[in-house]
Amino acid sequence: MGSQNHPDQSPDSSAEGAPRPEPSRRSVLYGAAGLAGAGLAATAIAGTLAAPAAAASVAATPRARPGRAAGVPSPAEPVIVHVRDLRSGEMDVFAGETTARLRDPDLAARLVHAVR
Amino acid sequence: MSSHREAPEISMDPVADSTDLYAFVSPDRPNAVTLIANYIPLQAPAGGPNFYQFGDDVRYEIHIDNDGDGQPDITYRFTFHSRLRNPDTFLYNTGPIAALNSPNWNSRQFYSVRRFSDGGGTGTELGKNLPCPPCNIGPLSTPNYDKLAAGAVHDLGRGIRVFAGQRAEGFYVDLGAIFDLGDLRPFENLHNQYGMNVFSGPAPGVNATNQLNVHSIAIQVPIRELVRTGASGESDPKSVIGVWTTASRQAASVFDAETGKTVSSGPFRQVSRLGNPLINEVIIALGDKDRWNALPPAGDKQFAHYYAQPGLAAALPSLYPGVFPNLAALVKSGKARADLEAILLTGIPGGIIPGFQNNTGSVLSDMLRLNTAIPPSGSPNILGLLGGDLAGFPNGRRVFDDVVTVELRAVAGLTFALVDPSFTPDSAASAVTDGLTDASVKAPYLNTFPFLGVPYSGFDNPS
Repeated sequence: MGSQNHPDQSPDSSAEGAPRPEPSRRSVLYGAAGLAGAGLAATAIAGTLAAPAAAASVAATPRARPGRAAGVPSPAEPVIVHVRDLRSGEMDVFAGETTARLRDPDLAARLVHAVR
Repeated sequence: MSSHREAPEISMDPVADSTDLYAFVSPDRPNAVTLIANYIPLQAPAGGPNFYQFGDDVRYEIHIDNDGDGQPDITYRFTFHSRLRNPDTFLYNTGPIAALNSPNWNSRQFYSVRRFSDGGGTGTELGKNLPCPPCNIGPLSTPNYDKLAAGAVHDLGRGIRVFAGQRAEGFYVDLGAIFDLGDLRPFENLHNQYGMNVFSGPAPGVNATNQLNVHSIAIQVPIRELVRTGASGESDPKSVIGVWTTASRQAASVFDAETGKTVSSGPFRQVSRLGNPLINEVIIALGDKDRWNALPPAGDKQFAHYYAQPGLAAALPSLYPGVFPNLAALVKSGKARADLEAILLTGIPGGIIPGFQNNTGSVLSDMLRLNTAIPPSGSPNILGLLGGDLAGFPNGRRVFDDVVTVELRAVAGLTFALVDPSFTPDSAASAVTDGLTDASVKAPYLNTFPFLGVPYSGFDNPS
C-alpha cells in the first residue's frame, strides 16, 4: 500500500512555517524535575557516559511493542539518566526510543557530585 | 467520555486521556468497519487563544485482536506534529480559514498513520503530513466549518479513510448526578439520600457533556483487512474482532527551563487504555486504575474479580432501599457475575442470544468486541442488544448507543438471567437509566464518516 502524502499541505516546506523549536543539547543538562520523585534524575551527554558505561553492567530492557525496530537515538537527541539507587549505582539511561539499565556506583556518585 | 479523567494519573494528562472508543460496521459502507478513538475530554469550545490539539509527544494507537489472545494483531498508529507559520503573533489565525492550506491559519497540526501487523516491525506507512482541521472557532475565523472539516477526511487508498480532529461530544451521561453518590435523577426520590430528604420527586437527566467537544481519531477500514482469512458469517469466530485504543508517552521527561518546554526520551510506555466503555471509570477500583491503564488487555485476568463482584452492584440496593431486592440477594450470595464477564471479558458465546455471538475465546481481556458479519441495523435501537438490535453495544459500539443505560441495567442484574435462568431480575433493572438519550446531544450525529457531529463553535457556545 502506497503512503499517501499531501504535498500541498506539507509541513516540510519552508513556506509552510517553521517547526517548533527543539531543545539544545546544552539545555537538557538542566532540569530534572520530572523524575526526581523516584530517585536522582539527571541528564548527561553521551560522551560523559561512554567510558564508565563500558565498565558497568548494562541490561537493555525490552522495547514496547509494536515498533521494536524503531528508536536508535541520534546525536542531537537528549539523553536522560535516572539514578534509581545511589548506593548500588543502578540507573536507567533513556535515549531516542531506547533505554538501558546500568549498575555503576562510581558514575552515579560523579553525577550526584556534579549537581551538589 | 465513558473514560474521561477516570484514573488519577491520566486525569492530569488530558491530551493522552482516551475518552470513548467506537467500533461498528459502517452504515455508509457495510463492507468496512469504522473505528473512532476520542481523546482530550470536556473541551470548552471557546478554547482560545491556544485551541485544543493532539499531543505531538503522544503516540495514539487503535489495536485489533483477531485471534482472541488479547494482544494486538493489527495496530494503527497516529503521530502528530504541529507547525507555526508565524511564531511572532499571538493569534491562532490571522484571518478567515477558508481552506486547510489557508495562509491565515497560523497554528496547524498534521499527522502520520502507520499500520503494524502482529505487534512488531516498523510497520507500513499509510499516510503522512495529513492535515487536521482547525478547531471550530466561530463565523469569522472558521466560516463553513462543516465543509472545511469534511475536507480533512483523507482517502488513503485500498478503501481506507481517516480523520483526526475536533468533533462534537457524542457521548451523553449525567455525570453530575451519578457521581453525587449514585444519584439517578429519574429515580432520585427513591434514593436513600443519606436521610437528608433533598429530592421529593423524579427529575429529568442532565447531560454533563452537552455542548462540549473532543478530539477524534477515526479510521474506516475494509472488514477483510481486519479479520482472519476465511471469516464467514455471524456464527464464525473469525468474524469477531476485539478493539482497544492506547496512548503512550516516552518514559523519561524533564522540563527544560531555558526553552520552557518538556524534553522526552526513551521507549514509549502506555499511559491510557480504553476498550469497553466505563470500565476503568466504574468497575476498576481506584488503587488499580493507573496500572490498568498501563497494561494490555491480555493481562486482564488479574482484574476479573472487579467484573465478577462489581462495587456498583453492591451499592445499588443500599442506595435505593427496597428497589433491588433480587440484586441484593444475588450480591449476598457471592455468585460471580458470569454475565458481566461474558459481555466484557470474553464476548457472548453463541446459543445465548439467537443469531448472535461475539465470543473471542477463553482469554479474559477487556476489548470492544465486534462481530463484523452482522450488518448495520436499518432501525437502530440505542440500547443495542438489550433493545433487540444486534448491531449495537455490546456488539461493538455506535456513536449514539446509550452505553450508560445498558451497563447500568446489566450491572443491576438484567443480564444475569442469561447465564442463570433461576434468577429473576428486579423490575427496576429493566427501567433504570440516568434519564438521557441520543436526543440529549445537541449537535446531530452524521450519517457518514466520521459520524460524530460538527464541533460546537466557541462563538456560539456556551449559549
